[in-house]
Amino acid sequence: MRRVFVVLCAGLLLAGCGKTKPTPEELAKLKPADPALASLYEHSCKACHAVDGSGAPLVHDHDAWDARWQKGLPTLTEHAITGFQAMPAGGQCSACTREDYEKLIRFMADEDKH
Amino acid sequence: MGYERAVSEKPEPVAPPSSNARGDLVWRNWSGIQHSYPELRVAPKSEDELANILRAAQAPIRAVGAGHSFMPLVPTDGTLMTLDNIAGVTGVDANGIATVWAGTRLGDLGPALASKGRAMANLPDINKQSLGGALGTATHGTGKHLRAIHGEVVGLRLATAKGEIVECSADNNPDLFNAARVSLGSLGIITQAKLRTTTNKRLHRRVWLEDFDETVSKAEERWKQHRNYEFYAIPFTGLAANITHDETDEPARPRGPDTDTGFLEMLKSVRNLMSSSTGMRKATAKFLLKTFGTPEEAVDEGWKLLSTDRPVRFNEMEFHMPADAQLSALKEVVAAIEQHRPDVFFPIETRRIATDDAWLSPFQGGEHGSVAVHAYYKDDYDFFFTLIEPIFRRHGGRPHWGKLNNLKRQDFASLYPRWNDFVALRREMDPEGRLMNSYLKGIMA
Repeated sequence: MRRVFVVLCAGLLLAGCGKTKPTPEELAKLKPADPALASLYEHSCKACHAVDGSGAPLVHDHDAWDARWQKGLPTLTEHAITGFQAMPAGGQCSACTREDYEKLIRFMADEDKH
Repeated sequence: MGYERAVSEKPEPVAPPSSNARGDLVWRNWSGIQHSYPELRVAPKSEDELANILRAAQAPIRAVGAGHSFMPLVPTDGTLMTLDNIAGVTGVDANGIATVWAGTRLGDLGPALASKGRAMANLPDINKQSLGGALGTATHGTGKHLRAIHGEVVGLRLATAKGEIVECSADNNPDLFNAARVSLGSLGIITQAKLRTTTNKRLHRRVWLEDFDETVSKAEERWKQHRNYEFYAIPFTGLAANITHDETDEPARPRGPDTDTGFLEMLKSVRNLMSSSTGMRKATAKFLLKTFGTPEEAVDEGWKLLSTDRPVRFNEMEFHMPADAQLSALKEVVAAIEQHRPDVFFPIETRRIATDDAWLSPFQGGEHGSVAVHAYYKDDYDFFFTLIEPIFRRHGGRPHWGKLNNLKRQDFASLYPRWNDFVALRREMDPEGRLMNSYLKGIMA
C-alpha cells in the first residue's frame, strides 16, 4: 500500500512539472518582460497567438511550439517576416526589426530563458 | 483562357526575399501582393514626435495601418510609419463626440467606446484597420441610412509634410476638412479624429441562406426595413447568404464560433472536385449548403457582431455604384464569373452606404451600393481587371480606394467633381511630394 502511495505521489509531482497549455486568462496576461518588446507584442502577435481558436500556435503552448522550434529560429523568423500560411507578412508588426522578431518568437515559444 | 485554372490547392505564392541588399526588411500587405523595402521604419509615440519625423525623414513617407489595402498605397523605399503607439480614446463629450487617436484599431475602438456607453454608428466587415487607414480609404459597412466611417468625422488633426499640426472641421478650414476626410495619406497624416457616436445598443443578428434570385428581388425592401442589411452572392450555388442586424432589447445571446472558414473550405473543395461541370457543382454545393448551412442568430452589443474575423486571405476588387445600378451590375458580375471563371469560389459581398460630401468619397452624390469580388490569395485575380472592372465602370462605379482597380488619373477626374480641387490642395500642402509613393504620383502628383 505504501509503495502504491509513493508511486501515486511521484506521478502527481511529475504531472505538476509537465508543461500544459495556458488557460485563456494566462494567455491574455502573458507578455515579454521587456516593455518595448511587450508593446510590439501587444500591437501585433498577441491578436492571434493569444487567442484560442485562431489557428496560430498559442504563446507558451509547448504542444504547438516544440515541433516548430525544431525548424530553427532562422526559419521561423523568415516565416514571420515574409508571411506563412494564415499568418500575414510581418505578423502585423510594421515597426519590428529582425532582432525583434527573433525575440518575439523566442518569447512565444517559451525559449527566451535559454 | 489566359489564366491558370485552379482545380486543386495551389502552392503558396513565392514570397519576395525577407530583406534587400541593404538589409532593409520587406513589408508586405495582408494578402501578399504588394511589397517594398522601407529604409526606415518608425513608430512615433506622440503627435510631436510624428511631426518631427515628417520634417526630416527620408521620402516617400507612407503611413501603414493594418496593411489590408490591396492597392499600392503603402509601399515605400523611404520611411514607413505606424501609428500603433498613437492610439486610444481621449474622451467623449456631452454630445457623444469621441476624440480618437488615429492609430486606434477599430477592434479596440469598440470596447473602448462601449466602456463609456457609446458605439460607432457602423462598422466595416472586418475590424483590423487603424482609424487613420479606415478614414484614408473611405472604409465602410452596410446600411441604407448609415454613412462610411469618414462620414461620422466632425473634426480632424493632420500632420503635414512640413511637420505642422493643422486642425480642421466644417467651421475651421472647411476645404481642408472636406478634402482630408478621405485623402489616402496624401495631404498629411491624420493623427486624431473627432467622431460622432451613438448609444451602445444590442443588435439582433440573423444570417440565412436563400435562393439568389429571391434575395435580389427582396434586397431593396430589406435595405429599407433593417438597420444593417447585406448579402453575399455565392457563385456556382444559386444561393445567397443574407445578414441583417436590428436594434433590440432582448437579452444577449452571444455569437458562436466562426463558421465562415469552414464554409469557404467547403466551397473550395467543391470547386476543386467539380469545376469542370457547372451543373454538378451547383447541385452539389446547393445540397451541401442547404443541408449543413444552418441559420444563425445572435444578440449582443453591435461592436461584437457587425465585424467578422477573416483569417482566410484573399485579393479583392470592390466598386461603389449609384444605388439604382447596383443590382444590375451584381447580376452581370455573377453571370460573367459563372460563364468564364470556374476557379472562383469566394462569395460576392453586396452592401449599401448612405451618401456624404467628402471630396474623394466614393459615396458622394447619393446613396451607393457596393459589390465586392474576391479571389483566394493563391488563385489568379487578373480577371478582376479584364472581366469585372468593365462591368462596374459601365454601371457608373467608383472603386474602393484600397481595393484593386486599374483606373488612371483621367478616370478619377471624371468620377470626382472636386478632383482638380483636391490635386491643387495636395500640391499646396506637400509641394515636394514627400508623402507620395509612385502609385500616388501617377494619379495625383
